[in-house]
Amino acid sequence: MMEEEEGAEEQQRFSYRQRLKAAVHYTVGCLCEEVASDKEVQFSKQTIAAISEVTFRQCENFARDLEMFARHAKRSTINTEDVKLLARRSNSLLKYITERNEDIAQFNLERKAKKKKKLEDENKNSVEPAEAGAVESED
Amino acid sequence: MEETGAGFRKELVSKLLHLHFKEDKTKVSGDALQLTAELLKIFVIEAAIRSVRQAQAEELGCVDLDQLEKVLPQLLLDF
Repeated sequence: MMEEEEGAEEQQRFSYRQRLKAAVHYTVGCLCEEVASDKEVQFSKQTIAAISEVTFRQCENFARDLEMFARHAKRSTINTEDVKLLARRSNSLLKYITERNEDIAQFNLERKAKKKKKLEDENKNSVEPAEAGAVESED
Repeated sequence: MEETGAGFRKELVSKLLHLHFKEDKTKVSGDALQLTAELLKIFVIEAAIRSVRQAQAEELGCVDLDQLEKVLPQLLLDF
């Protein structure tokens, strides 16, 4: 009975892994297609499959490293500083990732500001004029 | 933030990372997921573009495993 359960669990883990690989393969295919049409070349199916395999395996390295970096900093939550460390081996890569990080931070900041403003506007509209003074004012 | 076409979705990146974590308590911040997605995207694009350059150098119109094999070592060293 125990063996059957273990077998079934093994099977589940395997199919989960396969589904993830398929998802990676799909994204890799899309990216390669963009490169292919931009450079006016073709990729063989085997090449796309191989890039997909390598990418999946690279994720394992990334995950292990990220976990260790965070742990080294005595954190259990991986943050962007840990991710930047992954890009340390190539100067141009590190520069690119640092720039993308700033873009992401900026984008999220603007999005939060918009949300906050929207909430404040909605509050102002639903509050009576006499109570307007109690609403949080912007910096 | 411009999104140039395809990319890795945050949920997929999260699942991929969690698959290989050793500790249950390990978590990833949202920004870190986004940045990792960018890193993976660059990894794939580099693999693709370097293979294309190799194919072009060999005057081939189709990028095959031979071209990828030649660029793979340096790619893995760069990441």
